[in-house]
Amino acid sequence: MLSIKNLHASVEGKEILKGINLEINAGEVHAIMGPNGSGKSTLAQVLAGNDAFDVTSGEVTLNGDNLLEKETEARARDGVFLAFQYPVEIPGVSNLQFMRTAVNSMRHHRGESEMNAAEFMKLAREVSKQVDLDPAFLKRGVNEGFSGGEKKRNEIMQALLLQPKLAILDETDSGLDIDALKVVADGVNALRSKDRGILMITHYQRLLDHIVPDYVHVLAEGRIVKSGGRELALELEDRGYGWLGIKDEATDADSALSNSAH
Amino acid sequence: MKPAPTLSTAFLHPAGQALPEPLLALRKQRGAALVDMPLPTRKTENWKYSSKYLKLTDEMASSLPINGKAGSALAVPGYKVVFINGMVIPEACEYPDLNNILIQRFGDLSDAEASELAERLDSTLDKKAVQLAGLNSARFEDGLVIRLKPDAVLDQPLFIIHEVTAGHSGSAFPRIFVDAGRNSKITLVEEYISSGQEAVMVNTVTEFNLAEGANVTNIRLSMDGENVQHIGATGVLQQRSSRFESHCVGFGGPLRRHDLQVRLEGEGAECKLNGVVVTQGTQHYDNHTTIEHVAPHCDSEETYRNIAADKSHAVFNGRIHIHQDAQKSNANMNNKNLLLNTGAEIDTKPELEIYADDVKCAHGATIGQLDEESLFYLVSRGISRREANVLLTMAFINELVAQIPVDAVKDTVQTHLNQFFDQTFQEA
Ligand SMILES: Nc1ncnc2c1ncn2[C@@H]1O[C@H](COP(=O)(O)OP(=O)(O)O)[C@@H](O)[C@H]1O
Ligand SMILES: [Mg+2]
Repeated sequence: MLSIKNLHASVEGKEILKGINLEINAGEVHAIMGPNGSGKSTLAQVLAGNDAFDVTSGEVTLNGDNLLEKETEARARDGVFLAFQYPVEIPGVSNLQFMRTAVNSMRHHRGESEMNAAEFMKLAREVSKQVDLDPAFLKRGVNEGFSGGEKKRNEIMQALLLQPKLAILDETDSGLDIDALKVVADGVNALRSKDRGILMITHYQRLLDHIVPDYVHVLAEGRIVKSGGRELALELEDRGYGWLGIKDEATDADSALSNSAH
Repeated sequence: MKPAPTLSTAFLHPAGQALPEPLLALRKQRGAALVDMPLPTRKTENWKYSSKYLKLTDEMASSLPINGKAGSALAVPGYKVVFINGMVIPEACEYPDLNNILIQRFGDLSDAEASELAERLDSTLDKKAVQLAGLNSARFEDGLVIRLKPDAVLDQPLFIIHEVTAGHSGSAFPRIFVDAGRNSKITLVEEYISSGQEAVMVNTVTEFNLAEGANVTNIRLSMDGENVQHIGATGVLQQRSSRFESHCVGFGGPLRRHDLQVRLEGEGAECKLNGVVVTQGTQHYDNHTTIEHVAPHCDSEETYRNIAADKSHAVFNGRIHIHQDAQKSNANMNNKNLLLNTGAEIDTKPELEIYADDVKCAHGATIGQLDEESLFYLVSRGISRREANVLLTMAFINELVAQIPVDAVKDTVQTHLNQFFDQTFQEA
């Protein structure tokens, strides 16, 4: 499904990704962990096609197609979905209108008929229930004034509506309380399917208590420094990043924060 | 030093004579004032961005021939008055049949009525600031007086369709005078449309007098043709506890200029002024608004949005003047501007003059472009770039379009916006 080979990317002339290699097959769930600033979001954004980042070398294919030469919208239509770490607030565009436009763009691309307002409303209500978002959120501006947790659930809602082939979830677990984490995890588990690849970016182990990954990778300073099975996440939980030779002050500080918050 | 240019003498010849004597006399007197009126140049502060587009040539001075066929105007449902080339076309009109609302053509007024009207014409406008309203006063050949007696309520909007048939060069000078009696209520829609391709000018003046407690909503839709210079003025005088609401929606042209002047003269009066301007190509649009807080305890709220594409140019100048006695005034002005291309230009200038000490006055103006992060978020969901641009541009004006209180107008606006989007945002 997704194949990343020796991917280098930079932003404003500074190299962030320094040779990423990763293979994700349909049906697999991969977790990428790593300290703050290691390049996790950069990887996610590059895969989604954010041209604020320059790919300087390497290759990315999705089911054999060169992903990097495609526009963002074309990647999305090919089935790439990114749940943003920081979902964007767009006042003036209603969440409902946004999601319907997105779903209909995909349907149009597949040669299917568009959903009318009533049909979509029905679907949107069902899915919003699945992520425990009050349907009133559909009427608000996209992410406008949503709490952190509501934004994350709104991202999962979009993933459920769009049914991507590859779902990249960038810290969809951060800033959530236990209940919200459970809702998000249920959503992600609902996305699990033999036809779909999932790339979960997280820097806490706790999401992995709910969603058991097939593979865990550790990203540090723009490189994957270690890969393993789910036990790697548990090991990181116990031992931190230090034993891998990674500076993890940021992570320690963050974990401390998150512990004190709960 | 070069003397300031003055009006082409062609404009000083008398216009059509089919009006009651007192109005002809008024016109003549206003005409005399035009003789040495200096024309706006780029050194004229309130015309500095627009004077170069102003073309008051001899050709513009001739009145457009009256062509009695009302075209697209006929499709409008409900009460309507149709002006073609500045003249009312009675057979195309549908007046409300209410004895407390009088709608008369200038030509149908008795001498006594005309003389009373002549006394009051131009009284809502600051003539120094709205120089070219004087041209209308000197050259109108027809007009409409709308009188609402106390407590009169018009149950449906009244559409005034101004059409110019631009088969020849020339000008139209339509004129409207509204006298809204105590506690009366009306929604008046002015639509400016054109057929034909010749270069013409539409020079309009619309005046509103609101007596105590009157409630007037004015929607002004400027959709003139691509070769039309539109120079319009709206003057509003508000007495105690009256309410004036305006929705000005305009699409660009070679020159579009609208001066809107509101005087809050009676305590507790309030006005709400909304404006949306959309320009493209090499179009030019200039809105100048003035709100005079003369009496205490008045509220004004003004919200204008400009969207400029290609190499077009939009101007917003919003003046709020709070007089010394206007304590407890509450004035809010907000202007946001969206540049869709780097070649487009928008100039915005809030002007506040506050002479009272106990007032609340807030203003803000911003100029920006579509937000890249928002665009990326939308296209990352498979939405086309074109659609994403449309969504974000609509988001910029949604709120104002939604507030237009007449659905038929809202639909017309949306249709025009969609045409604009089709031309501005090409499919990749
Ligand atoms: N738009 C940007 N402009 C400049 N630097 C950036 C930008 N985005 C990310 N970076 C830098 O790239 C590095 C990696 O950031 P990021 O990918 O967000 O890390 P992570 O998601 O692992 O915390 C950081 O040093 C960050 O400051
Ligand atoms: Mg990140």
